Amino acid sequence: MLLTGLALGIALGFTMQRGRFCVTGAFRDLWITGSTRWLTAFLIVVAVQSVGVFAMDTAGVITLAPRDFAWLATIIGAFVFGFAIVLAGGCATGTYYRAGEGLVGSWFALIFYALFAAMSKTGVLAPAVDGLRAVTVHASTIHGLLGLSPWILVLVLVTGVGLLARHHLSRRPELPVAALPPRKSGLAHLLFEKRWGAFSTALVIAALAILAWPLSWATGRESGLGITGPSSALVNYLVGGDSQVVDWGVYLVIGILTGSFIAAAGSGEFRVRLPDAVTTVRSIAGGALMGIGASLAGGCTIGNAMVDTATFGLQGWVSLVFMILGTGAATRVFITGPATATAAARVAVPAGR
Amino acid sequence: MSQHVLETDGQVCPFPLVEAGAAIALLAPGDELVINFDCTQATDALPQWAAEHGYPVTNFERVGNAQWTITVLKA
Repeated sequence: MLLTGLALGIALGFTMQRGRFCVTGAFRDLWITGSTRWLTAFLIVVAVQSVGVFAMDTAGVITLAPRDFAWLATIIGAFVFGFAIVLAGGCATGTYYRAGEGLVGSWFALIFYALFAAMSKTGVLAPAVDGLRAVTVHASTIHGLLGLSPWILVLVLVTGVGLLARHHLSRRPELPVAALPPRKSGLAHLLFEKRWGAFSTALVIAALAILAWPLSWATGRESGLGITGPSSALVNYLVGGDSQVVDWGVYLVIGILTGSFIAAAGSGEFRVRLPDAVTTVRSIAGGALMGIGASLAGGCTIGNAMVDTATFGLQGWVSLVFMILGTGAATRVFITGPATATAAARVAVPAGR
Repeated sequence: MSQHVLETDGQVCPFPLVEAGAAIALLAPGDELVINFDCTQATDALPQWAAEHGYPVTNFERVGNAQWTITVLKA
């Protein structure tokens, strides 16, 4: 049964690589260009998944249990995580799938992310993380807080996201979007070449995110997609050798790496790419801060911002807001700040004709 | 009317896009900007950016494993 985690992870890694699904990019675009196209795709995953999750909860396939909201650790951790993903050039899943594309900077980010997640969850930083996470309020979900049926929130979210999606679909760019000339045909073209589009990619990811719940549940891991806990468990297994810690989630993250590699290799997009010194240092620092931030917040962009949000958890939505703010702060410092002056200085060498 | 080349190989997103935006601002209308890149996400971001800004794409191809080139015309 644990192998369903591997299969789902492969499908997810494949989809994210081919669809160019990047949560860091979705949050970062808000601050750089103001574009909400990828954020809308991200919210489509949340909205569609919320329908599936509450349908399964109503049907008794899964049971969503309330837990107290560790507000202080969530706020601090989500902000740190949002800041860190800009440094690392990708969130937790983004880093896994870029690692599968051969980006050595993402290998560094991934190793330090998993290491610092393990240090924060079960190692030397655990007392501090546990201490902060002990600061809680007795509230779990938005509908619980408001005393509403979750289905009202599902309806509001689906309607809101539907309107956003319609806005983007009706808003044609000035010119048609250029596509690469096809070299493949049929299924190979569809799987390994064609531009998938943000929203269709989001629908596939939503289906996989829904499927993750009952598959993970069947193995005794009672939650949906998650990256940080499994990454920490993988480090614990590799270092401590205790196979008890290897759960469905560990198979999932190994699957993401594998699926992304299959997608990249099959489409001629795999190449070992070395980062420069600055990118290397940023990847390491970003990875380490991601591990600490996600452990404090109780989840990353997937576990909190994309999955817990679908259950209308306070942890998920508060995380989403503070991750976006953290991303904005890092974008100011590292992308749109004074550093870009150097970029503009070495721009555009005339080609000599 | 001239052609300018922007090398962004080795840079991860969003830097190819940010630099392309900075570079095209310096060009005269009618000039072409060739952007060479190896960040996979830019295969989505750069053509989308060109379309939204009304810059026609005169060339877009994969030149090798995880290596692409796109040419946009400053209209």
